[in-house]
Amino acid sequence: MSKQLPLQFEFRANQTFNDFFAGSNLEIITHLQNSIKGAGEQQIFLWGDQGLGKSHLLQAACHQAQSIKRSSFYLDLTNPTLANSSILKGLDTLDIVCLDNIDCIAGNNEWEIAVFNFFNRHRDSERTLIVSASCLPNELAIQLPDLKTRLNWGLTLKLQPLANHDRITALIFKANQLGFEISPQVGLFLLTHYDRDLSALWRLLAQLDQASLAAKRKLTIPFLKTILDDAP
Amino acid sequence: MNSIWNNCLAKLENEISSSDFSTWIRPLQSIESDSQIKLLAPNRFVLDWVKEHYFVKIEDSIREFSNGTMDLNLEIGSKSSATPADAIVKKISKPIETKKVGPSFLNKAFTFDNFVEGKSNQLARAASLQVAENIGRAYNPLLIYGSSGLGKTHLMHAIGNAILVKNPSATIVYLHSEKFVQDMVRALQQNAINTFKEYYRAIDVLLIDDIQFFAGKERSQEEFFHTFNSLLDKKHQVVLTCDKYPKEIVGLEERLKSRFGAGLPVSIEPPDMETRAAILMKKTAQSNINLPQEVAFFIAKRIPSNVRDLEGALRRVIANAQFTGRDITIEFTKEALHDLISLQDKLVNIDNIQKTVADYFKIRVADLLSKSRNQSVTRPRQIAMSLARELTPQGLCAIGDAFGGRDHTTVINACKKVEELKKSDMKIAEDYENILRSLSH
Repeated sequence: MSKQLPLQFEFRANQTFNDFFAGSNLEIITHLQNSIKGAGEQQIFLWGDQGLGKSHLLQAACHQAQSIKRSSFYLDLTNPTLANSSILKGLDTLDIVCLDNIDCIAGNNEWEIAVFNFFNRHRDSERTLIVSASCLPNELAIQLPDLKTRLNWGLTLKLQPLANHDRITALIFKANQLGFEISPQVGLFLLTHYDRDLSALWRLLAQLDQASLAAKRKLTIPFLKTILDDAP
Repeated sequence: MNSIWNNCLAKLENEISSSDFSTWIRPLQSIESDSQIKLLAPNRFVLDWVKEHYFVKIEDSIREFSNGTMDLNLEIGSKSSATPADAIVKKISKPIETKKVGPSFLNKAFTFDNFVEGKSNQLARAASLQVAENIGRAYNPLLIYGSSGLGKTHLMHAIGNAILVKNPSATIVYLHSEKFVQDMVRALQQNAINTFKEYYRAIDVLLIDDIQFFAGKERSQEEFFHTFNSLLDKKHQVVLTCDKYPKEIVGLEERLKSRFGAGLPVSIEPPDMETRAAILMKKTAQSNINLPQEVAFFIAKRIPSNVRDLEGALRRVIANAQFTGRDITIEFTKEALHDLISLQDKLVNIDNIQKTVADYFKIRVADLLSKSRNQSVTRPRQIAMSLARELTPQGLCAIGDAFGGRDHTTVINACKKVEELKKSDMKIAEDYENILRSLSH
């Protein structure tokens, strides 16, 4: 079972395409980047298991949009503070809208109709929509057939999990981005002993960086074991 | 040179989580003057949220980067070009002096030329053409109804585009019923309801999509009823689409149901396999992409539901081929659509075809598998076999086996019989389409 580190740290890394380790998902990044530039699909439906980086990619899309002066909006539909569907009003004036975790509104009549209406307005305005979910549109428990068929309309892309060797490379890549180094052995140790969910692993790396700075020690397996021993 | 707001964004990006930054801060659009930065929020919800949670942070940043010379002003608005909805409101907010062509919101990509005709949509297409050629005289209103994703909206735009070719000065407006409701609500809020009425009642051709969304909206129904009558009295054309026959809409006033059905109601059914393949060939030909016929038939067979699903699958194949540089073959298509096909197999297999058919005809699955030759059982059995042939990748022998160990020739005969009956017996054709629809959603 994975352990939690006894450190408080709020992970604030900016989510960009540059700090996404693509592995076998390069095609997805290419299509997203083309769409953001206005040279690709008008609608992309991105799906895959939790923890593979869907939210990262949607936020990266907004980041890239900003860099080329296109307006964007990112909406995480799991966010309970956004219980009011009126947040969708006026978003059709923005160039790129990203709706993350659309699974969460399935079966909610008010939200389904609001998203359907938003979809029509946004599409008529020929703007770009990027949606994410944990499964294909036809597997979603969406009750409004008009919304379901529209979600199927665009380009549907599946985010593939990273293979084990890619995960170690990804950990080394991410550590480098945070400004420190880890060996492949440390990478393997982390994968074996901690959560395999990528977003959890990135948070862990940031925590380890803090811990190593605080202890003024390099991130070695003995040091990791010391931290693990301190974990509750 | 970086603007003050860009500097603020770079600072705030490191202080706020990426998710919150992308939702609340990045979407704010700035207008900078000498003494003020005006930030535009897309709606009231975002405005209130930003005011409550980020105002101080943003204000501090602006002060820091402007050396205290600039103030912050938060408002609702957008720098982007106006949406069609805005254009309507803009138009209805001014009195209509003379009749002129307003924004039609027609999608030029939808024409009769690129609408693929098949048995399932023949009548709807013919009626639409008639309407385009004889505005207000052929069928008024024309109501096209059928499930989502079958081409109703395409036909509606095609009517508008064809009329515009013949008569460029005609006032044609396409809109979704929800937009009509939204415009009416805005007009009421802005005390512009008379302008709203004048605007809609002066249109030559009004195309309203998805009228089922009027259900339960009494004030909008009332207003639409009068708009509708006014247009029909003046022999102006009205075209409507709906996902079902209007009489079946719960929450729609009886008088509207009866008026909607008073012209020509035509249904549009899910396309058969040949039409689905033809749609795919036409779509790819338009984009100068070579789609081998056998691949078109392969996709058409594996994606039996609606045109949007079909187009989505085609997009996936083309996108993947363009990315990998590979030729589009059946093997390649199987790989590209692996997930969609697996899901389709999970949703539509011989077991659930048998169950759906048995439920539809109110018999038991065991009857379908039995040796009974009673017509109340043989007909559903033949339909189930034919559907299994159309919707699943199973071979004739496997289908025969699944129906109580029957021979493959029995399956061939059942498929032939069903094809004949679909042409000669409307009831059988309807039953088949109903079951097909229910299996495809």
